[in-house]
Order: sequence, then C-alpha cells, then structure tokens
Amino acid sequence: MAEVEVFRTKRKEEKKRSARLEDFLFTLKLIMHNRIAFAGLIITLAYFVIAIIDYIDPRWLGVSNLSDALAFLHGKAYYPSATLVTPPTLAHGWYYWLGTTEYGIPILPDMLAALKVDLTLSVEIVLTGALIGLILGTVSAYYGGLIDEAMMRITDIFFSIPALILALAIAFIIGLTFTNIALAFIIVWWPIYARLGRSLTLSIKNMNFIEAANAAGSSSARNIFYHVIPGVLSPLFVQFSLDIGTVVQLFAALEFLGVVPVDPFLPELGRMMVWGETYLIYGKWWAVIIPAIFLMIFTISVSLLGDGLRDVLDPRQRR
Amino acid sequence: MELRFFIIRRILLLIPTLIGLTLLTFILMRALPTSLLLSQYVNPHSTLPRSVQIAHARALLGLNYPVPVQYFFYLAALFHGQWGFMVSNFYTGPVLTGIEEFFPNTLQLTIFAVILSVLISIPLGTYIGSKPNSVADHAGRIFSLAVYAMPAFVLALLFQIVFGRGAITGNPLGIFPISGTFNYALVPFPVPSWLVSPNTSALVSHPTHLIIFDALIHHDYAIAYSGLLHIVLPVLTLTLGILAGIVRFLRAGMMDNMRQEYVKTARAKGVPEKIIIKRHIRKNALIPTVTVLGLLFASLLGGVVLIEDVFDYPGMGLLGINAITSYSIYGVMGVTLVFGLVLVFANLIVDVVYAFLDPRIRY
Repeated sequence: MAEVEVFRTKRKEEKKRSARLEDFLFTLKLIMHNRIAFAGLIITLAYFVIAIIDYIDPRWLGVSNLSDALAFLHGKAYYPSATLVTPPTLAHGWYYWLGTTEYGIPILPDMLAALKVDLTLSVEIVLTGALIGLILGTVSAYYGGLIDEAMMRITDIFFSIPALILALAIAFIIGLTFTNIALAFIIVWWPIYARLGRSLTLSIKNMNFIEAANAAGSSSARNIFYHVIPGVLSPLFVQFSLDIGTVVQLFAALEFLGVVPVDPFLPELGRMMVWGETYLIYGKWWAVIIPAIFLMIFTISVSLLGDGLRDVLDPRQRR
Repeated sequence: MELRFFIIRRILLLIPTLIGLTLLTFILMRALPTSLLLSQYVNPHSTLPRSVQIAHARALLGLNYPVPVQYFFYLAALFHGQWGFMVSNFYTGPVLTGIEEFFPNTLQLTIFAVILSVLISIPLGTYIGSKPNSVADHAGRIFSLAVYAMPAFVLALLFQIVFGRGAITGNPLGIFPISGTFNYALVPFPVPSWLVSPNTSALVSHPTHLIIFDALIHHDYAIAYSGLLHIVLPVLTLTLGILAGIVRFLRAGMMDNMRQEYVKTARAKGVPEKIIIKRHIRKNALIPTVTVLGLLFASLLGGVVLIEDVFDYPGMGLLGINAITSYSIYGVMGVTLVFGLVLVFANLIVDVVYAFLDPRIRY
C-alpha cells in the first residue's frame, strides 16, 4: 500500500516537472519565433558567457586585473609604441584590434574582462533588490490595511529622490567601497519591485483560485508563496531583464562622476570611458566610443529581450 | 469625487512623504561616524585643547540629546533656514545660499528640456503610433532605443566634439560653447546690478532668477542670446535622454487605442482620419503617458547631475557632486533634500493633471 503511495507521488512530481519543462520549451519556442527578441537573447547570452569564461580562467581573456595586465604587458607581450593611446590596428595581434587607452592598456581584452565586474554587480543588485521588493510588495498587498499604506509611503519617499543622487549620497555616507556601492544601489532598487509586486498582487488577490485555495483551508503564507508569487514572477522577470542594463549604465555614470574609488586598474566600462574622455579632444575617439558602443549593444539587446519576454509571457498571447 | 477634493487629499498625503524625506536625510546624516562630523568643527590653530573643542561641537550639534530629539532639532533648523555650511572647490558658504544661487540654473535647464521634449515627442509619437510597422515606425523605434542605450555622458561628449566651439580647433560646426551659463565677457564692468550674485549683495534685481529670462526682462539681449547658445547642447542631451521614453509610451498607447471599438465607430460614421487620430486616439493615449512623465522627471533630475558635470554648468548637480567629493555632509543632505522636494511636487502636479485628464481615477 505504501509503495503505491510513493509511486503515485513520484508520478505526480514527474508530471509537474514535465509540465514545467514543456512550459519552458514553449516559451523558448515563442521567443525563437520573435526574431528581434531572439537576437537580443543571443547577444545577452554571449555577454554573460564572456563574463563566465572570465570567472573560470581569466587567462583565456588575457586580462583580469589591470595591475597584473600592466606587468604582463611590460613583460612578454609588450608592444613598444602602445604606451600611449594608439588607434585600432590589426598588426599586433588580437589584443590591439580595438586600440589602446591610457597607459597603453589594450581596449579589447580590458572590455571583455570588464563584463565580469559589471555584470556581476548588476545581477547582484537587481536580484537582491527584486527579492526584497517582491516579498515586501506581495505580503503588504496581500494583507492590505495599515502595513500596505505605510509601505506605499516608504516607496513614495524612495521614488522622490533620483536614484543616482540617492545612491551617491548613501555610498558617500557608508564609505566609497565596491561593496558599499552595491549596497547603496540595492537600497535604491528594491522599491521599484515592491511597487510592481504590489500592483500585480492586488490584481491576483481577488481571483477565484485564491478564494478556492482559501476555501480548501490554505493558509495566507501558503497562498502567498504558492499562488501569488508564481503569478507575479513573469512580469517581474521582464523588469529584471530591463534593469540589468540600467544598473550597468548607472554604475558607468557613477564612475564617470569620479566618486567610486575602486582599484584604479580594475577593468570596468565606466572607468575606461573616463580614461578615454581625456583624449577625446585630441581626436582620439576610440578610447571612449568603443566601450560606449559595447555598453550600448548590451543595453539594446537586454531591452529587446525584455520587450520580447513581455510579449511572450503575456497570457493573452500564449493561448 | 470632485477634482478639488482629490487635490486636497493628495496634498494631505504629501505630509507623511515630506516627513519621510527629512527622516531619510536625517538618518543618512546620523549614519555617518560622529568623528567625521565633529572633525569639521575642530580648529587646529586654536589654543583650546581638542577635547574642549570636541565637547563644544557636541553641544553645538545637539549630539548629547536622544536621537528623536535630535530629529526635531534638525527639522527646526531646516525651517529656520540653517542648512549647514559647505566647503568645496566649487562653492564655499552656507548650503541654503548655495542652493538659492545654483538652483535657478538647473531649473532653467530642466524647463527648456521638458518643453523641448514635449514639443518633439508628442507629434513624433503620434505619427509613429498612427502608422505601425511602417518605415517611419521602425526608424523612430531604432532611434529611440539607440538614444536610450547610449550613456548620457558619452552623448554629451559627442555633442561637445561635434558642435562645441573650441573643442576641436577648426571645427566648422563648432558654434555652441561647451561650458558655463553665459559669456562672462559680455558683462561690462562694473557688473550690472541685476547680475550680482544673490549672496554678495542684497540689492539685486532678479525678477525670475533665471539668467536668460532676467536678461530679456532687462532688455540685455546680448546676454540672453549668449545664455541661449550656452544652454543648447545640455538641453539637447537631456531631451534625448527622456524623449525615447515618452515616444515609446505614446506609441504603445496609440496602438492600444487604435484597436478600440470607438475608433471603429468613428470611422463608420465617416469622421476624417486626421480628426480620429488627433481628437480620439491621441487624447486617450496621452493619459498613460502623463503618469510616465513623473518618473521621467526623476530621470531628468538624475541626468542633470551628469550633464552639468560634463558641461561644467553651475547648477545643483555640480553643487551635489562637489559636496560629495569634498566630503561635505551638509551639502549632500541639502542637495538630496531639494531634489526630493522638487520631485515630490512634480509628482503632485502629474497626479493632478492625470486626474484632470481621466475623471475615472478620482476615487
């Protein structure tokens, strides 16, 4: 008798899993049909693959930490005239294909290595912010009342200060280090998700299936975690994909304002553009334009992917 | 509910938000190590021992009181206009005076940017949205996406290089100055009374405090023209930054409304297509766009910081950056508070306009 029970639950789980897999494959199929979104997906994945490669073994990309890189460059693979800003050239190996920036640092490997830093930071920030915001938003909207009103006022306050300025102020107060910048961004970022999660929960809360779950004796906590949050997740994921680009841009902006004293040789897109700015007036455009275009392609592909996901995950279109 | 009751309710809801805002800046200040705060009050040339000076500073700052009491002291100081003192390369003096001096410049920048972006984006969004999937639609979308994805400071740098006077010698397109608010060489000596900065003289004639408008009022057309030339590139950069968002939302709204039944009805009645688009579709599509304007205003103020840094434009953004880089806690708090206040009131106006446009939301 017990064996039958075990077998039954196993089969149920398998069915559930296969349904989920099918759902996922269906989503993938829909994205592949949307050519623009698919292109966005491929480019975004390529950026993440480069970042992951850098995590596995930095030597494959040549540069992980530019202070090492300088020693490396002045050692074996040193290209003598590259101590200044040199234009893109095909003559000295793939390192110099996109030219060099200040200190003769080759742009291409530096740019690829920068992805590790930038993408890690932005995924960290957006993921943590989304988790905090999701839980606070859904719980407060589900219970409503005074908690909800208080939460709305708090998010209002956070929305009433531009993110860049608030992040600057917080980072300044708690100390300008890499971790603190991430923390400052998280403090700025969660209210967006709280507001989004709240508005979605309000529309789900009164649906029939929640009432049915209540009638079946499901607790509030169970309702929130098993019924509300899965329903909220897909629009939140769209916002998530859009924000990853925004955070990288904002971080580059912070770097540009010169208030992030991380290791000066840490590969980072904003830092590279700041270096390039000095040489722009001498007509040496590549040092700032190439990293800018690299960042631009990432932001565009991520937002194309987000738009595609919004269409694909929309239940009205799935039918 | 009537519109004025809605407005009263909205203004009453402003009170907790404003209290929260001051609480936030207060927490930021209190989160700072006390030693850093006190160190600004220690004079190394004084004959008094350090411990006595520190004790004086503690008493002066009210640090011996419990934290909630300190918050009330902080609020009282804010109301009395005592926003602290800041020292930096850019500005040294009382924070409130600095804000009074530099806020009008930023206001001028944002006013022009908002007007320009509304003037461009509404016709553009209407045109694009009324012809989905046409060449113009694709071009418009690619353009807005590209502008959105380009880092704002890089765009500003490019403008400086291409259109900036003196950025590259012999640049035929270099007609616009790349820094400052107006050409100071135009000011004859002694300085005209109306141009004297508010913290150096009480006898000033700044009817609006905005340089371009003040110059126009005083019939000083050379300065007004110079001011306009100086503001072109920063305004253009700011505008492009928020343009993409408005166009995108307006387009989506237009396409949503295009499918509605009332459009079909209007077409069946034989209403000309131009009037359908202008009076029926656009009017309804503008309603959700207005809500986005509030958020866009936030990104505009955030963008101002970057743009002012690139163009060396003496405004609130530059004041804030310099307060941060010179570790002036009062400067940081003052700027944060002012930006917050501006946004809170901007959102209030957006909400009221929204309620005016769409009577359904006045619940």
